[in-house]
Amino acid sequence: MRRFSGRFRSSLIIGLQGIRARKLRTLLSMVSLFLGVSAVVVVQAGASIAEKALLADLQLTDGIDGTRIVDMPPEPKAADIVISTLKGRTDGVATLGVSAIIGEPGVRPVNEGGSPIDEDWGGGMVCYGDGRCEPDTSNGPEGAAIEVRLTALTGDVRMFRPFTQQSGRWLDFSTMPSMAPRLVLNQEAAKGFDRYRVPAEMRVTGASANLTPQLIGVIDDGDQQPRAYVRLDELTNWLSPANLGNGGAEMRVLLAPETPTEQILTTKLRGAGVETYVSTVESRKHRQKELTLMRLIFFSMAGLVLLIGVAGILNVGLATVGERIEEFALRRAVGTPRMLLAGIVLAETLLTGLLTAAAAIGVCVAGLKAVSMLIGDSEPLLHNVQFPWEAGVAGILAGIVAGILGGFVPALRAAGIPIATVMRA
Amino acid sequence: MTDPLIRLTGITKVLKGQQEPRTILDGVDLTVAAGESVAIVGRSGSGKSTLLSVIGLFDRADSGQYELAGQDISRVPERRAAKLRSSHFGFVFQRFFLLKHLTAAQNVAMALVNGQGWLPRRERRARVLEALDLVGIAHLAKNRPARMSGGEQQRVAIARALVRNPRVLLADEPTGALDTETGALVIDALLAATTRGCGLILVTHDRDHAARMGRILDLDAGVLTERVPA
Ligand SMILES: Nc1ncnc2c1ncn2[C@@H]1O[C@H](COP(=O)(O)OP(=O)(O)OP(=O)(O)O)[C@@H](O)[C@H]1O
Ligand SMILES: [Mg+2]
Repeated sequence: MRRFSGRFRSSLIIGLQGIRARKLRTLLSMVSLFLGVSAVVVVQAGASIAEKALLADLQLTDGIDGTRIVDMPPEPKAADIVISTLKGRTDGVATLGVSAIIGEPGVRPVNEGGSPIDEDWGGGMVCYGDGRCEPDTSNGPEGAAIEVRLTALTGDVRMFRPFTQQSGRWLDFSTMPSMAPRLVLNQEAAKGFDRYRVPAEMRVTGASANLTPQLIGVIDDGDQQPRAYVRLDELTNWLSPANLGNGGAEMRVLLAPETPTEQILTTKLRGAGVETYVSTVESRKHRQKELTLMRLIFFSMAGLVLLIGVAGILNVGLATVGERIEEFALRRAVGTPRMLLAGIVLAETLLTGLLTAAAAIGVCVAGLKAVSMLIGDSEPLLHNVQFPWEAGVAGILAGIVAGILGGFVPALRAAGIPIATVMRA
Repeated sequence: MTDPLIRLTGITKVLKGQQEPRTILDGVDLTVAAGESVAIVGRSGSGKSTLLSVIGLFDRADSGQYELAGQDISRVPERRAAKLRSSHFGFVFQRFFLLKHLTAAQNVAMALVNGQGWLPRRERRARVLEALDLVGIAHLAKNRPARMSGGEQQRVAIARALVRNPRVLLADEPTGALDTETGALVIDALLAATTRGCGLILVTHDRDHAARMGRILDLDAGVLTERVPA
């Protein structure tokens, strides 16, 4: 222990003396390595941010990884079974999608077919035998109405699809169902409401009457199409499950992974002769190949830049050892073990590498913050991003690897200097 | 009778270069006792520095036996050799070999900061000042080599050699770069160490300096012979 600490302190003093005597060289090593480490940090940060953004988007639209999805045709008996089975359970939510038109009665919606507001899916064209097409006016003239996918929920779906609230409130499932259904819009639907002065009247295929919904909030659900969310029990006041079959309805149950409810539900549904399709959300796995390839390409590029940096540090390191031949021979002459000298040379480069890594990470953190502040508002991907810790780790590792690669050969050289050099000089 | 400090028996050193092997040291016998001073003289190229580097464990002999204070160290491994260099030997060369980025005191302390044992800073400083004082330049402790004369620099080098209280001082033409008067001062400093029981082996071309040693040995083409006092 005593011997070890003596060696350690000796090398600390010798190393610091060496660095202090060669500040400029140390700086030059750092400059040559800086770009390499920065490249690694930037690539890792970029990959992590892109991956997170991609997965976050998929989480919104498809669901959190591991979520079990049971799809089934919207038959009335299926709806009954689903609603009764899920009643009082918190590990599953049923979603029922129907199309609805909100706005002036008796007009064609501005986005017929439920297209994004700025796109026209060209719904409602009538084509004749001679190839001539013209807008179908049988549904009346185009007016202040918007077609949305209306998704009715039996519970809070955000445990599977983590919507982010943009304004107003989310649906409250704990209160008594209201006769005027409360709607939460997604951003695309909200855009339509903003642009066209749409009266709050809603037509749903199969409903007994037109509804007067209350709009209570806007969320981001990652969807490009206009959508609205409503409590199923508020919708069924107006739309009986028996009328679900029409209007392109779709029914789906989202379940937590490994819950017995799944077994109960599918058994009941199959017993009633309803076909079910069960799947698991595996966004990460599906994207893994692309993500890995993307990383591989960028890392090879960063590795190349890092290699150039290592060559630089190696070059400076060898020149330094060449310059210090006399010093090392002398230190060996006064009894410094050769391994200690090799260790000191390695430690000096390693320290340079780590300092460079720290500088590169610092610059990248500051750069990301600046970019996020400057253009984060127009680039949602860069809005309010955090510096990913993986990038910091990658930078430190790059610094260590470069320090070892760049310091190893000079260290060997230093250890091999014969002491007699001093006498012949 | 106690063992001599150094006993070399039949030491040979053969240089294997690109050409045919050349014998630099050819069966050298040498005994040095504690407190004894020995001068080695000889033509340039006769192998004096080579002999010193074998004695100082910079290099190993090809054959022969080397005993240091009774211990056979002819074949010590490098780790042990480093330790012995630190504990038993002090070196002074023709060139001073001071590190120019360090002060005189730091240059002397270099022999203490060598990974062989550890002295706290306070004790290190005391030892360094003591060594500088022995050679009469304690007042220059904070100076860098560039601001010292050749004689002063060589005395810093001697202080560095003395700071660990070595058993043997090896000096290879330590006055070669100095004028006569300064050279005499340096020899004084080296001889002073022998009064404290340190052995001294001095390689020199200077007859006067050689004459101040207890014995004079001639090295000629790798063969060492004792000069019989006239
Ligand atoms: N590394 C080496 N490579 C080639 N030859 C060497 C080497 N080291 C020593 N020699 C040769 O060994 C011989 C002895 O050298 P050494 O330095 O011991 O002589 P010296 O007596 O100290 O000479 P001087 O008085 O000039 O210092 C010389 O002929 C020298 O050329
Ligand atoms: Mg010589």
